[in-house]
Parts: sequence; C-alpha cells; structure tokens
Amino acid sequence: MFFHWLEKNPFYFALMVSIVISFAGLLEIVPNFASAARPLSTTTPRTVLELAGKNVYIKDNCIACHSQMIRPFKSETDRYGKYSLSGEYAYDRPFLWGSKRTGPDLHRVGNYRTTDWHENHMLNPPAIVPGSIMPAYKHQFTNVADIETAYAEAVTVKNAFFTPYGPEFKRTRKAWEAHRPKVLEDAKKIAADMKDEGVKKMIANGEVPEIVALIAYLNSLK
Amino acid sequence: MNPIIMKSLGFAALLIIATLAVVVQMDIDLSDSVNAIAVGGAIAIATITSYVTSLYISKMKTESTTGELVDENWDGIGERTNELPSGWAYIFLAVFFWSMWYGLIGYPVNQYSQIGEYNEEVLAHKAKFEKKFENADKEVLQGMGKSLYFVQCAPCHGNTGDGLSGKAHDLTKRMSKAQVLDVINNGSNHLGYAMGMMPPGMASGQDAEDIAAYIAGGLKGEAPASYAACTSCHGADSKGNGGMAPNLIGYDNALLTHVLQNGKKGIIGTMPSFKTMITPIQEKALSEYLQSIAQ
Repeated sequence: MFFHWLEKNPFYFALMVSIVISFAGLLEIVPNFASAARPLSTTTPRTVLELAGKNVYIKDNCIACHSQMIRPFKSETDRYGKYSLSGEYAYDRPFLWGSKRTGPDLHRVGNYRTTDWHENHMLNPPAIVPGSIMPAYKHQFTNVADIETAYAEAVTVKNAFFTPYGPEFKRTRKAWEAHRPKVLEDAKKIAADMKDEGVKKMIANGEVPEIVALIAYLNSLK
Repeated sequence: MNPIIMKSLGFAALLIIATLAVVVQMDIDLSDSVNAIAVGGAIAIATITSYVTSLYISKMKTESTTGELVDENWDGIGERTNELPSGWAYIFLAVFFWSMWYGLIGYPVNQYSQIGEYNEEVLAHKAKFEKKFENADKEVLQGMGKSLYFVQCAPCHGNTGDGLSGKAHDLTKRMSKAQVLDVINNGSNHLGYAMGMMPPGMASGQDAEDIAAYIAGGLKGEAPASYAACTSCHGADSKGNGGMAPNLIGYDNALLTHVLQNGKKGIIGTMPSFKTMITPIQEKALSEYLQSIAQ
C-alpha cells in the first residue's frame, strides 16, 4: 500500500505532512498576498534623483527614527493622511517601513511639507519644531549624492524585476550620459525653491547635493 | 477507592493549599472577579489533572487489551483492530463539515478586513463628531482650532504663529511689505477666488512701494492715491468685496478657507493644500483660532 512506501521514506513523509497541514494557509494566504503585492495603478517607479535621495535616506539612517507605514487607525490617518497599501511599496527595494517612531511617520510627507520647509528643517530641526531631538544634517548641503549608482540601480531593477522604467534605461555609459541632464534638470527644479546658494552652484557644476536628492525623495512620498 | 487515586487527590490538595498560601501571602483581592476566576481555575486544573492522570495510571495497571492483532508490526510493536470510539468519529465528522463550510463560505464571504474595521470606525467617529459640534460656539471652535493648529500648522508657522522669523507666513500680522510687493510684481492666481487672477504689475515703482507700506502698516492713515487700483477688486473697505477677492486688512473665513483648500505659493515658499487633511468643521475651527491670534 501507498503508506508503506511513505512510512519508509521520512523525507517524503515530512513533505506530505507539511503540505497537508499548510493546505488551508496556501489556499487562503497566498492568493491574497500575491494580489496585494501588485503595484497600484498610481504607483510609478522612482526617478533617478529620487532613488539617489532614497539612498541618502538609507545612508543617514532616517529609518532608525522614522517609519513609512500609516496603519489604518483613525488617530494615524488624521495626522498622516490615508493609510498605506502594500502595493505602494512594490517598487521600493528595500522597502523602508521602519519599526520605530522617534520622529513622525513620513509615508505621505510630500503632501504636507514642502522643499523650503525641509531646507530650513535639515539645517536646524529644533529651531523649526520646538523640543525636537532630531540632529541637524548640515553635511547633506555639501556632500555629493551618487546619481550614477542610482541610475545603475534603476537599470538593475528594470532588468532583474521588470520594474517599468522606460526603454532609455540601458546598461551603457552612453545611455547614462544621455540621461544625466534629465537628473540635473529635476535637481534644478527642487533647488529653485531653496535659498542656499551653495546648492545651486553645485548643480550648475553638474553635481547634485545630497539634500536636493533627499528632498526630491521626500516630496515624492505621497 | 484505590491507593493511586487517593495519592493523587492528596497531591491535588497540596497544590490547592499552595495556591491558597499564595493568595494569603500576596494579599490578593478575591472580590476582583479576574483574581477570583484565576484562583478558581488554578484549583480546578490541579484537581482535574491529578484525578484524570491517576485514573489512567491505575487503568494501565489493571486493564487488558481487546481486539485482534493485525498482521503488520513495527519492530515488534503491533496494533489491534478496535472500533473507533464513537465520540472521535462524531468530532471528526463535525470538524469535516465545519471545515467545508468555513473553506467555501465562512472565510471567503465573511472574512475580516482591517480596512473594513477602519472604515466603520471612521464613519462612527464622523457621525458622532458632526453631531457633537454641529452648533459649536466660538469658544469651542477656537479650542478645537488651537489643538489642530499645533498638529497641522505649528511645524511651519511656529507655536505662536509668528512664522519662525521669516521661515513661514507670520499669522499674527496680515502681510509684510515684501509679501505685498511680491504679489504686486508677480500677480497671484492660485487661491481660487471668484475674482480670478490678479495680474502682475498693477502698480510699479514708487506707487507699488507706497501701496505695500500702506497695506503692511494695517491700512492706517491716509491711503496713497495709487491705492485706488486695489479697491476696485478688494473693495472700498479693503475687506475683499464680500468674499470675491482676498481681505487685505485681516483674516476672515473666506480667506483662510481658500488658503487651506488651495495652498499658497509666495515669496517665502510654498504651503501645500490641506484639503485632504481636515474636515469642514475643523476648517471652521482653525479659521476661528487663526482669527483670534491675529488680533
């Protein structure tokens, strides 16, 4: 009989047991999971400048104090806006949900903070928000953001995960050189709302300061 | 009664005494139903466990096996053909039917949704909120506006509304000279007033300077002759022509509503729209509070 064979092969026995006990889970969890993980119709991949800003966000460890996940509770949606959906993170690699809110949630910060606010705030947070314990991030005004790596990241996720970047995202230096002015154009738009002259000078020289990339990223969080 | 059951009941009695000792030692208040249930549960578990265990132990000593031995044996350990106890069979059948119902109807049709619960919570709160503040008086609205101000407005305009020395609009005054000059030179067309766009260059040079100084000074004293260009839209009393154009003297509900709904872009920077962040009652409350700090 079939179970005689099964009882003599512990590996297949364990496999069958696993399938049987996880059957309901497979049926109920997996399809839901797969559909919820799809990007929303309004979710678009981040631009290269925003990707560079996201890398600044990771590098300066913003995630240690800020979450990006608004839970469906009235107290949270009152303060931060609409609750987050899993599809909104479809193009985030890695996602930056965070688990600690020493500072406020940032998942929709683009809706209620603007470029000039971020500029003032990054220079001296307690001057803008009394009692804030957030440190200043002055170095972001002089450090250069790595837009080249951000471009490489965009090309990689396009090839590896089919993230819908346009056909102009290619694995060649020529394609990058062709795309570079677009990134600087985006950076210029952000810098136009800023007061810092050094930032504008850097962009004119073809370099993107970290603060501009970071603000582009924060403004895109909507 | 056989000695094994006697011993186990003695053991249960010991456990009960230990439980009661803890109750006395730690001064536990048994009038609190949670404590009473916990102590009762501990006593019941000690008694039942000891009794049932001893019952099976004594059975192992006296009972013999029934049924035929089957052919298969595993390292000398055999199996006998006994009927399945009927209780087990009924439980199996019940679970079988329940799982059919749950898998096909119970879970897919009635499944719990976090978003659904959130929607219910928000609807219930909204109904309660609107009923409570339907006819709120000025004082209540100002109180609500104040707490809203600290959450939504203070991060940019500062706790006192002074705009953090020029980093945002100073809400305690109407407009500074620089702001008026900026609007005169660049026009304005984003607040959504019925009057529509204010074109750039309505006044220039010294005229613009005079108008800016006059408006920034709170429209006190003699108006400069060039100010006539402003009154045609902003009204003879400069209060906005009955909600058609922005009030130049102070804040009113129309002005604050337009800014909160549409945001504002000016010489200082950009203010986003708060359309999605606040409800109409909250908007009224905020506007009451802002008018109170401007005076």
